[in-house]
Formats: sequence, structure tokens, C-alpha cells
Amino acid sequence: MLNSLNAEHLHLLLNHFPTVGYAVGLGLFLVALFQKSSELKQASLVIFIVIALISIPTYLSGNAANFALKEKAELSESMLQAHQDAALLGLIFMELTGLFAWLEIWRIRYVARPMNWNLMVVIVMSLATFGLMARAANIGGELRHPEIRPATESSAWPQTAVMAKAFVIENPWVWPAAEIFHFIGLTMIFGTVLLVNLRLLGIINHVSFDSVYRLLPWGIAGFIINFISGMLFFVAVPDQYTQNSGFARKMVLLVMAAVTMIYPTVFDRLSDLKAEDTAPVQNKVIAGASIALWVAVIFFGRYLPYIGSE
Amino acid sequence: MLSLLNQIEQSGLATWIHESGSLWGYPLVLFLHTLGFGTLVGINAAIDLRLLGFGAGIPLKSFEKTFRMMWGGFALNAVTGSLLFIADATKHATNPSFYVKLVFVAAGLFTLTRIRKNVFHASGKNESATLRQAKILGAISLGCWLIVITAARLMAYIAEYINA
Repeated sequence: MLNSLNAEHLHLLLNHFPTVGYAVGLGLFLVALFQKSSELKQASLVIFIVIALISIPTYLSGNAANFALKEKAELSESMLQAHQDAALLGLIFMELTGLFAWLEIWRIRYVARPMNWNLMVVIVMSLATFGLMARAANIGGELRHPEIRPATESSAWPQTAVMAKAFVIENPWVWPAAEIFHFIGLTMIFGTVLLVNLRLLGIINHVSFDSVYRLLPWGIAGFIINFISGMLFFVAVPDQYTQNSGFARKMVLLVMAAVTMIYPTVFDRLSDLKAEDTAPVQNKVIAGASIALWVAVIFFGRYLPYIGSE
Repeated sequence: MLSLLNQIEQSGLATWIHESGSLWGYPLVLFLHTLGFGTLVGINAAIDLRLLGFGAGIPLKSFEKTFRMMWGGFALNAVTGSLLFIADATKHATNPSFYVKLVFVAAGLFTLTRIRKNVFHASGKNESATLRQAKILGAISLGCWLIVITAARLMAYIAEYINA
């Protein structure tokens, strides 16, 4: 599915989300803060979350493109590496921005008292992310346009991707530890997903939706654990994953599955479901799809070594 | 003993699971094993959290129906686990990590039955004692499953170490 040539294409398509799309979200967010518009603020936070999710396949597709471009002599290897290092740093900040944006939306709905520090974190992180992503995009652009490339390359920035790879490869305990954590995260996510969606489907009943959905932070914690442990696998042997057809499928399904998990944080409707209420039919459909998507994510994760490089 | 294990390993079914190379052989059994584990431990861990005081708004009785699912997950894993065992009988039978895993699966399941009996179906006479016991059982349960996951993940590494 992700063969080398269209990996470049896919990356060129996706890389507009963490840059252009993100700039739109940031603009809205700043306007919302000045106008003190809570609706606009919520909308921009949702944009941050969605773009944080899309940034995951964007980064991964960059590695796939990198694999394809290695053969081409006209591209400077040190610049490819610099782009990748900048992108990984940007990705880390992007995911943190997405996480704190989610926390802010969660707070608005479930925690009555304000947490001013959290909004401050979102402001600082979102601005830093924008700067880092712009830098990654800039180096990326120069890859294809040597005429705008500056004569000297700065090397004061951390070699994030190089260091992450070395960390996993040089410490033999990291991979098994990441495997253990990846399975711990799996149970945290899957347990939460099952219970929340079984409530929507009516199989678990006599309980308000909100009571069950309060488990979500547990599932989000699992997601964080699995993002970190999964990225450790990926940065160590990126080609093993980008050249695997099952991996691309897993990532596409993962983004969709994550959306089905967090959308009730944003929309009011489900929060109105009291203990004896039945969920609307469309939410039941999404609940069924959510379970199926997570099962499919586990399926492709488990099948990775076997459908490998067909 | 070893010859018995060898015989198991060379039975038609075991050979097919391991050596057919079919995508619907070994990988499928492994996937179903993960699914059963995710169902049993995923829900059980959420119940443990509730017992430890997280998400206190969820009435315990709303978990009642999930016991059947957890036992379903366990049944799936008893079957798929046996299939995975016979496919590599000699390797697993000599792996200490495998026995650690089995012991703590048993301990985790036993704890789950205690949770159901002593917390879900508590007589209601002594609430603070029930609450205290719920917390202890929840912590023991989480600990058991944590050990199960760790031992299970380390099986491949320990097998490599032993056979090196």
C-alpha cells in the first residue's frame, strides 16, 4: 500500500496539515483568546487534536519517502537527516500540544474549576510547535529546491531522530521494555474502548454515559504509553515498518479509531445520556465501528511480522 | 516427559499451526490470543481502577454484565493458549517465564472471582471493611496482570537466552 513512490506523494500531501492546517488552528486559537470566545477556543483546540493525530502518519510517511529518496544522489543526505531531526522534534511538541488541548476540552466538560496553568501550557506549546514545524517544513522545502538553500547548515539543533535511534539500538533493554509497555497500553486503551462503547450500545446499562466516559483519561494514558513505545520501535528500524504493508493500514485505522474514542469529549449530545437513556442510533453505529477499528488495529499490529514485506 | 512434549509438538495440528506458513495458522491464533487478553485484562483493569477509587461515579452493578465477557476472553485464551503451547511444546515447557505467566494468570483469575464474591456481592453489613478489601483486591489484581504481561513479553527473550 505504501510503496516507495507514492510514499513521497503521500508525504507531500500530508505535510500540509502540520504546517498550513496547524497555522489556521493557531490563528483561530489566538483570536479566540483575544476575543474571549469560548466556542472559538474549543474549535481551535479540536483542530489541534485532529492535526496532532494526522501528524503521526505525516511523520511516518516522511520516513517512507526518505527510503525512496535514498537512491537519489542529488538529495543531500545530511539535509534529509536534518529535516527528519527537525520533524521529530516538531512531532513531539505537536503531540504535547494535542494532549494539552484535549486536557483543556476535558477540563471544560468534566472539571468545574479552572486550570489556568493548562491553558498557559497550550499557548506556549502551540507557539513552540508552530516554530518547530515551520523549521522542519523549511528544511524539507529546501530538499527539493536547492536554489533557496543557504550556503551553510546550522548544526546547533539536537539530532533528535539520530539520538532516538541510537538510544534504542545501543540499549538492549529498551526494545523488550517497550514491548511490555506497548501491551500494557493496549489493555488500557482496549478496556476503556470496550466499556465506553458497550454503554453506547446498551449492553452495559443503568449508568449515565458520563460516568463511564470518566474512564477516558485511563485510555488516553494508554494511548500516550503506546505512542511513545511505538515510536521507539519505529525510530530504531523505520524501514522495517515503512516497507510493511500492514503498518500503513494499522496507522490509518489507528487515526480513525482514535477519533471514535475522543469525539464524545467534544460533542454535547452523549453527555446528556442519563442512566436509563438509550444512545442515538448513529452513536451506536460509531460505537460498533470503534470496537471494530480497535480490533483491526490490534490485528494489523499482531500480523506485522507475518504479512511483512509481501 | 520430553518425548511426550516432542510427540505433542509433532502432532498434525501442532505442525500445521507452526509450519503451514498460512496467515490463518499461527498469526491468527496469536491475534486471537491478544484479543482475548485485551478483553479480559482490559476490562478487569478498569474494574480494579474503580475499586481503587478512580471513576467512582460508575455504579459497580453496571460492570455485572462484563464478567461474562471477561470469562469469554479467558475461554478464548485457554483455547488459543493451548494451541500456541502445543506448537512449541518443548520450548515453552522449558521456559521459566512461561510458568510465571501461568501462575499469575491463575492468581489474577482467582482474584477476579474474589472481587465478584466479596465486593460485587458483598453482604453489605460492614461497608468500610468491604471498601478496604475492594482496594486491596484491586491492587493485587493489577499487580497480577502486570506480572502476566511482563512474563509473557519476556518469554521469547528468555527462550533465546536459555537456548543460546
